[in-house]
Amino acid sequence: MSVLEVSNLVKRFGDVVAVNDLSFAVAPGEIFGFLGGNGAGKTTTLRMVLDIIRPTSGNISVLGAAPDRRQSNAIGFLPEERGLYSAMSAIDTIVYFGRLKGMDTSTAKARGMELLERFDLAERAKSDIGDMSKGMAQKVQLATSLVNQPELLMLDEPFSGLDPVNQGLLENEILRASERGAAVVFSTHVMQHAERLCDRLLLLRKGRKRFEGTLEQARAQLPAHIAVVSNADISALPGVHSAEAVGKGEDGWQEWHVELDPGVQPESVLEHCSTSGIALRQWNEHRASLHDIFVELVGGEGVEE
Amino acid sequence: MMSNILLVARREFRQILALKSFWLTLLILPVALALGPILTSTLGSDEPTRVIVVDRSSADVAAKLENRFTLEDDRNTLRQLSRYVQRHDLQEADPQAAWSQHDRWYTEADVANFRAENGVEGAIAAIDAVRKEDTPEFEPDNPSFEFLPVPSALEGVEGEAFGEAARTLFDSDADDAPEMIVLVDKNYPEVPRIALYAANQPRSSFVQTMQEVLTQDLRDYEAAAQGLTPDQATNIQNAAPQIAVSTPPPGDGAREALLVRSIVPLALSYILMMSLMLSGSWMLQGSVEERSNKLLESLLACIRPEELMYGKLIGSLAVGLLMILVWAGCAAIAAYATQGVIADMIRPALEPVSSPGIILAILYFFIAGYIGISAIFVAIGAMVDSMSEAQGYLMPVLLAILLPITFLLQAILAGQGGFVVDLLTWIPLWTPFAVLARLGMGIETWVLVGSGVLLAIAIAVEMIFIGRLFRASLLATGQKPTLKRVLDRFRARPQ
Repeated sequence: MSVLEVSNLVKRFGDVVAVNDLSFAVAPGEIFGFLGGNGAGKTTTLRMVLDIIRPTSGNISVLGAAPDRRQSNAIGFLPEERGLYSAMSAIDTIVYFGRLKGMDTSTAKARGMELLERFDLAERAKSDIGDMSKGMAQKVQLATSLVNQPELLMLDEPFSGLDPVNQGLLENEILRASERGAAVVFSTHVMQHAERLCDRLLLLRKGRKRFEGTLEQARAQLPAHIAVVSNADISALPGVHSAEAVGKGEDGWQEWHVELDPGVQPESVLEHCSTSGIALRQWNEHRASLHDIFVELVGGEGVEE
Repeated sequence: MMSNILLVARREFRQILALKSFWLTLLILPVALALGPILTSTLGSDEPTRVIVVDRSSADVAAKLENRFTLEDDRNTLRQLSRYVQRHDLQEADPQAAWSQHDRWYTEADVANFRAENGVEGAIAAIDAVRKEDTPEFEPDNPSFEFLPVPSALEGVEGEAFGEAARTLFDSDADDAPEMIVLVDKNYPEVPRIALYAANQPRSSFVQTMQEVLTQDLRDYEAAAQGLTPDQATNIQNAAPQIAVSTPPPGDGAREALLVRSIVPLALSYILMMSLMLSGSWMLQGSVEERSNKLLESLLACIRPEELMYGKLIGSLAVGLLMILVWAGCAAIAAYATQGVIADMIRPALEPVSSPGIILAILYFFIAGYIGISAIFVAIGAMVDSMSEAQGYLMPVLLAILLPITFLLQAILAGQGGFVVDLLTWIPLWTPFAVLARLGMGIETWVLVGSGVLLAIAIAVEMIFIGRLFRASLLATGQKPTLKRVLDRFRARPQ
């Protein structure tokens, strides 16, 4: 059973359609990347899942039920815009959010201390948030979203504003939650993290889904490009969309820049060359990165590699 | 839901309690009230003013002056004694004594009788025989003036030399240095000129009384010169109507009674106003911090906007109640520390608010007032992004709430009811203040119940609209709350 299931979700703000007919599902233990440029509808979707705002139409199922604050004990959420009570201590803050999620004080405190230990902040447990650095405060906020060991962990642009060390710490926590069996949904416009972490991806543009699937499936969306040096004209080979000769060639050998038809695997063309007796001196595949896929499907605005 | 509301309330409460400004404000009122009497007793001296009368005439002016001031002091003591006896119902100590007669202005004959019966010591001895243990002892005031013997430095000196000698005495560091010196020349009363030397501005009571004594003396002298005997002259001088005086018993009677009965209700109304303004502004600070620190989304992922709003209201109410408890505790300690003197004073003041029904009404209107007005602060806090922006909306709201209350309190202090007070009683924004303040004057039951029901309905409606505004405003950062936008949010359904 999916932890989170969204079907035909629509959200309108007046004349603006923020989310348009969006459907997806996230399974337990899965890391699901929610990718899109600014204003794509990522935060709006997450807010609807959290029941902070209501959809115009469509359905959301969280742990088999409609979104409700009563499920907050099973959900962890790290918002894009972060902040905490400056006059509250780190451990009190974690316990406060734990209690708001239905935990008892002693469990929340024990889990909070465990997280602070892991984040190397145990000695600052009683320090006020206002006396901490921004990085420390962000770790405390991450702890508030993890304290209840959520079954659904949602992180909205979690890597923004983090230094490389804390980015690594966050990646570890995402993997740890996934290993524990939690469904992790995170929105980002930094492709590097999505490429490294996500089991599946959803690409969103102006509220509409442009792609959903694994990274490999995403790559298959774009034609493969191969740099080939051959002694034969390969433009007519099956699966080759186009082949452009580079330079004049030498001693019968010619360099080609080849673009395959979408969905054609480079391995099948290579196999055809072998069986057809076409000699090759060079065969360099250029695999599309997630950034390339994103730019192709969504547009490059507001995206970082 | 309730546990989340209480969690938010507890956090709000603790956050406000962590503010230094809270503790300063909490302590300012009791400290000011405690310092008032201390400063009064420290700055205002009850030591008698030391006077020397240098009498070089043959008219015995010094003795006449001293007698008159002693008479006035004794008359004052007799009057105080009479109020004390009346307050504590101690007439049985001696029903025939002057101090058991409260209905007249004490004459010289009364004072003479009082002195003949051993003065204040005699009265206290009689009273002590019937005084109950919890009745405080009578403590007479010190005499107003103390007459010192003429020092040798003033003997035989005249004119400017006398002035010099007087100033030297005034400047002396001695504890018994005189503060006023009266010089009666040897030609008095033929030359009716008296010189008064004073270290500071002379007390007007001294100058007036001295003038009365000397005027009478001069008239006696003139009457004798016209051929009247001293007795005839005295009879003419003493011819005066008998003045019957009827005053309400202490803490009773028309205006005084109204004031005494209104003290606690007015104080309640005033304290409601003060604590509301204070805790409201602290709560506003907290709301602005939540918005400016961008932690609302984290909160709203765990709790409903309504839970957040009600939590804030309850937290603010708890702060207000704590302030009142502390102030009431300070008053109780003061009453205990003063050995029942204050308690004795406030007993009649507590009378109009001591029945169970009225206590329930006070609690209801106090809590309803707190919730009703705090909700306005919550709404402001939900709409603004900074404290400076909040101040812009706060000022007009405060003026709208406070100005009519100021008029209301003044009207009740002046003992006036009238249309405005009635009107304010029925407008829910001011109902709690008006009802609390009117409890001392007396308020009809139907008005109490009717305005209470109307207030409850108004708060229910207010909660619906402010709840919508709160929910719609929470995540709308960076949007100026124009009137149109506010009205739109009042109408907004959950989206």
